[in-house]
Amino acid sequence: MDFVVNLLAMCVPFSVALLLASIGEMFNQRAGVFNLGCEGVMAMGAFIGMLVPFMIGKGGEVANYWNYLGILAAVMVGALLGLFFGLIVVTFRAPQGIAGIGLQMFGVGTAGTLFRHFVGGTQSVVGIPNSPVPLLSKIPVVGDIFFNHNLLVYFAFLFVPVAWYILFKTSWGLKVRAVGTYPRAADSMGINVNKTRYQALMLGGALAALSGAYLSLAQAKMFSQSLIAGRGFIAVALVYFGHWHPVQIMGGALLFSLAQTFQAAIQGLGINFPYEFAVMLPYVLVIVVLSFTSRNQTTSPSALGKPFNREIRT
Amino acid sequence: MKKLLVIVLLVSLACGTVFAGGASETAAAKESGAVKIALIIENTIDDKGWCQAMYDGIVAAQAQMPGKIEFSYSENMPPVDAGSIARQYVADGYDLIVAHGAQYKNLILEMAGEYPDVSFAFGTSAEVGPSNVFTYMPESEETGYLSGLIAGLTTKQNIVGLVGPVDGGDAARYNRGFVLGVKAVNPDAKIQVAHTGSFSDYVKAGEVATSQIKNGADVLTGSSQQAIGALRATAESPTAMWVGQDIAQFSTAEGQKKCIAASSYNYAAVIVGMVDKINSGVKGGECIPMNFNNDGFIFEFNPALPQYKTPEITAAVDKALADFKAAPGVLANWSSVDYSTL
Repeated sequence: MDFVVNLLAMCVPFSVALLLASIGEMFNQRAGVFNLGCEGVMAMGAFIGMLVPFMIGKGGEVANYWNYLGILAAVMVGALLGLFFGLIVVTFRAPQGIAGIGLQMFGVGTAGTLFRHFVGGTQSVVGIPNSPVPLLSKIPVVGDIFFNHNLLVYFAFLFVPVAWYILFKTSWGLKVRAVGTYPRAADSMGINVNKTRYQALMLGGALAALSGAYLSLAQAKMFSQSLIAGRGFIAVALVYFGHWHPVQIMGGALLFSLAQTFQAAIQGLGINFPYEFAVMLPYVLVIVVLSFTSRNQTTSPSALGKPFNREIRT
Repeated sequence: MKKLLVIVLLVSLACGTVFAGGASETAAAKESGAVKIALIIENTIDDKGWCQAMYDGIVAAQAQMPGKIEFSYSENMPPVDAGSIARQYVADGYDLIVAHGAQYKNLILEMAGEYPDVSFAFGTSAEVGPSNVFTYMPESEETGYLSGLIAGLTTKQNIVGLVGPVDGGDAARYNRGFVLGVKAVNPDAKIQVAHTGSFSDYVKAGEVATSQIKNGADVLTGSSQQAIGALRATAESPTAMWVGQDIAQFSTAEGQKKCIAASSYNYAAVIVGMVDKINSGVKGGECIPMNFNNDGFIFEFNPALPQYKTPEITAAVDKALADFKAAPGVLANWSSVDYSTL
């Protein structure tokens, strides 16, 4: 029983980085923009997030609010990177796949270069402490799994219904879905397609950067140039996995994280099983689920990846 | 057309001047008798792990051989990018190109054929390469054994954790040495072994360490540069402790608090040996083992945690160290360790 509770209690915080980045990417894709640069934005978020408390505390302890200031700075930088990406793919109508790869390289490279300049080598930070929810965290089993984490974990999971509400119950969410599904019709209805796509990209960038800052300030509590290690690409895959729906994306992030935690735990049990297969487990799981669910693509934004030009009839 | 010709001429002249400058610089280095060493690494020189150990080793070798070594390095070089920079170093007249990691093996073997007058080195590898390739193999079952002794005698829960990168090279030797060390002093201890499948996924190393701590491990160790992620996760636990594979970990806040002891690779001895061989006309064709017997390793207790240096631990470590220093190959049975029996 303890084994299972431990697995679940770990998989919840370990899923947060993927969850936040995937929800951000979902907003991008719902608006018709495919952002492969998620990894780069996460790297910048991770770096900026840790830089603020590091500079204030000169590598030592700082008051917790400096961590949140770091997160705020990361979110702003992420939104700016989303804006920058919008300039390239929305205004200049560059191919989204190539531009995304460019953003990924730009973000990872810039974060690494600035890190070397301002910080130096692999650096840890005190980071954000756990904030157990009074009373609820004392409930057996459930308390450990859901209510004994840091504030960003609670925020990430509470943001899932918020994202659902924004996307499906607000006029802005309707605009986002419209410009991602049939931008010409949206345009003829008076919706500013480019503006809506810019807004979605800024929100997506902010969430990707928040995800990176979560890794550097709340989970790993350190920064190195290879901190993100491909999680941005997994986040993109999870959007397809979750059919562009926040709740299903949350399920995907939790499932991936559970598989990751499970494979680490079973290796420790000393079962005669090649560890390489255990390490592959989460990725194989994503591929298998994608291959079984990809037939149901009715929810995919039909204008995904297509630049909008009102002068050209498509 | 005339303008084009003038431009081509000017560019040719400029190139000639630049390359002539480079050649004379190389000639000056040769005249001084210094061996020019280029280091290519996949991480950074201050990663508190694998790459820093080699960088520190070359710097120490420079200090030991004043004026005999010139040194440059390139960081963050995955194998796919390393070829161009390695060729640039060859063009700049470097005598020895050290590509620090087994992942560079194919590149180095290919370049060794192209440039037979230049020495190359890569490791870890127990293979003997071509006549212009040195390899080096840390016999890190010895350092792992010392870590295992300390972990086995320190654990209160009788559960220890091991965060490995991949089951190969010196990491496989360190990990199996660790198991032998734990079992030598605490046969009943449970050892949780897990690999991340990466050398540099700090987050995943931290997740594995957290998983092991949640499942009862109270002393952990790990190898490769990602181990710093596992050490950081260990620092979050009020009770768990760490035994390190790099003394540089003592310099971190979490290392100060959690790292009982650590061993480091002393690459200075390897580099000094290679430089001496190059100066005597031997360009490669040798595998250089690293062990306590040939001063290839350094071991230290963390001075900030004297309470963990108990008489029992000190005696066990001192005895093992004396055995290792007396002769190499004491733990020749390291490869027989089977994780599934733990």
